[in-house]
Amino acid sequence: MFKGMPKIFWIGMGIMYGWVFFFMFLEMIIPGLPLKQFLGVPACYIYNWIMGLWIINIFISYLFYSSEEKREEIIKNRKGAK
Amino acid sequence: MESNPIVLIGALIYFLIIFYIGWTSRKASMDASEFYVAGRKVGPFVNGSALAATYFSPASFLGLPAFIFILGYPFWWALVGIIGGMPIATLLTAAPLRKYAPTSFTDYYADRYETKWMRLWSAIPTIIGGFAYVILSIVGTALFLLCILKFNFTISVILASVIVFTYVYFGGMVATTFSTAFQGIAMTVAAVVAAGYVIGHYGGLNGLTDAVISTSPNFFNMPYVAEKASHPLMATWTGVIGFFFVWHFGFSAMPYTVVRFFTTQDIKSARRSVFWAVLIGGAMYGGLIIIGTGARVLIEQLHPLMATDGVTNAMGLLKHMKTAYGVAGASVTDYSMISAMEALKSPFLLAIIAAGGLAIAMATAAGWTMVLNVVLGRDLIGKVFGSKWPEEKPVACTRVMTIFIIVVCGLLSFKPPALVLDISGAAFVVILCSVGPPLVLGLWWERGTTLAASLTIIVMTICSTSSWMYAKYHLGSYHWFFLSDPANKISTPHQFYWVFIGFIFYILISLITPKNSDEAIQKYVKDLKPEQL
Repeated sequence: MFKGMPKIFWIGMGIMYGWVFFFMFLEMIIPGLPLKQFLGVPACYIYNWIMGLWIINIFISYLFYSSEEKREEIIKNRKGAK
Repeated sequence: MESNPIVLIGALIYFLIIFYIGWTSRKASMDASEFYVAGRKVGPFVNGSALAATYFSPASFLGLPAFIFILGYPFWWALVGIIGGMPIATLLTAAPLRKYAPTSFTDYYADRYETKWMRLWSAIPTIIGGFAYVILSIVGTALFLLCILKFNFTISVILASVIVFTYVYFGGMVATTFSTAFQGIAMTVAAVVAAGYVIGHYGGLNGLTDAVISTSPNFFNMPYVAEKASHPLMATWTGVIGFFFVWHFGFSAMPYTVVRFFTTQDIKSARRSVFWAVLIGGAMYGGLIIIGTGARVLIEQLHPLMATDGVTNAMGLLKHMKTAYGVAGASVTDYSMISAMEALKSPFLLAIIAAGGLAIAMATAAGWTMVLNVVLGRDLIGKVFGSKWPEEKPVACTRVMTIFIIVVCGLLSFKPPALVLDISGAAFVVILCSVGPPLVLGLWWERGTTLAASLTIIVMTICSTSSWMYAKYHLGSYHWFFLSDPANKISTPHQFYWVFIGFIFYILISLITPKNSDEAIQKYVKDLKPEQL
């Protein structure tokens, strides 16, 4: 199952789920975490609104397409060299 | 409240742009290939923006702020789940499906599982979900028309049905791809500008947070660590995690997004279009979180109708709207997002929001109507039941289907069965647990079998729809586990667990049933994988 899936896929999944469930876990054990001040605003705006919702996912989707393009370029060059 | 000329002009400009795009692409849409898959020549940015506009329906634009308004901060995680699910599609389904390059969503099922009857099985949940989505899109369009024109809801539904029908009837996939790309930008700009207004009004995020807590002290409470939950559905982590997963896998397997991977120029464009969809959609969702968070306090502090006799809080104001404009069913809560924008008393902002709202509603209606057109006409009438009509006159066939779909959905929109986000959640779970496993595992697992695919679709469609309805009528909400004791209910939003059960069920049945032919496995599994180093 999932044989041939590029390794970067599992790395990306690890980053995304790791981020989400780490902060969910912190919310489970730290009372009032969303409202604790971090960088001058309630922490939830940083770890959930900016990072979890947007930055992490932009980074992962960039990682996915760029690494696949690089991999295809290597394959193309190898074929060209033969 | 009366309609404002600036809001009317904003909506008019939006319609002029949409009809200009439709007019310039009208010739292209007369050819079958152009009509179905836009000639497979759409670039990554245009396709990414169209993907975002199609995937994010009025369920997002109206429903997500409404659910944050009702459920509080814990529901922010649902939005993280939706955007977080998008990059997964890049390698899981977008790239292999573009390599395969089918015309219709059901083509893969028929080819991979080697029987035309898979078209019929996969069409059943697709049609259920598709009709639900066209209904919620018409309801969304109607609510924005109500905001712009201050017409009665019934008249707004009729007008919305006519607009959506005209748009799809004359467009096809070319018009819907290019105009939808414009709509993707319009809705994102609207949400971001609105969020800027809300943050600016309260002098920053700290001011907004203090204002929210002043009217809703439990808004930021999380399960277990706070004395009182933000909402009974968010009193346990099954509620928070359940909402995270309801829509999470949708971008990879929902028919109306999957078909947009078919329209790209190549695999590279398909992968890059996901990046643009995340960028555009994530920005819009950032705006929607702020709007939903500020909705209650904005309505209660600033809305002009709060001065009406008998209106004491935000829910009271929405009930007043329901009576004044005849908004039917549960959908009046969906108006909370628009009410929050009305409270800021800026016609310019309301014009942008109305244009963005119309954009998102029409884009989704068009995307789903196109999927249903192809499934009902080309796939069922043509490929399953053997009629030559869809093949000989594809455009005429899909247009007849468009009439049928819009008339049926228009009639059902007069009294919406639930909040737009609830209709969306139900559609997602029924489709993801039934046709999701045969698609995703069909692409990535050689052992997946025809019998497993057929049984998964049939059994999961029955289980998910019946448990969803049973929970509503037995326990009062779709979000409680359907077998819960009424005195001690467990929160399982939209019976989301069926998605995971669907995958396990497909695997188990595949292991005990005969494999598909080597030829099918080679062509539709092995050949679609990325080339190895």
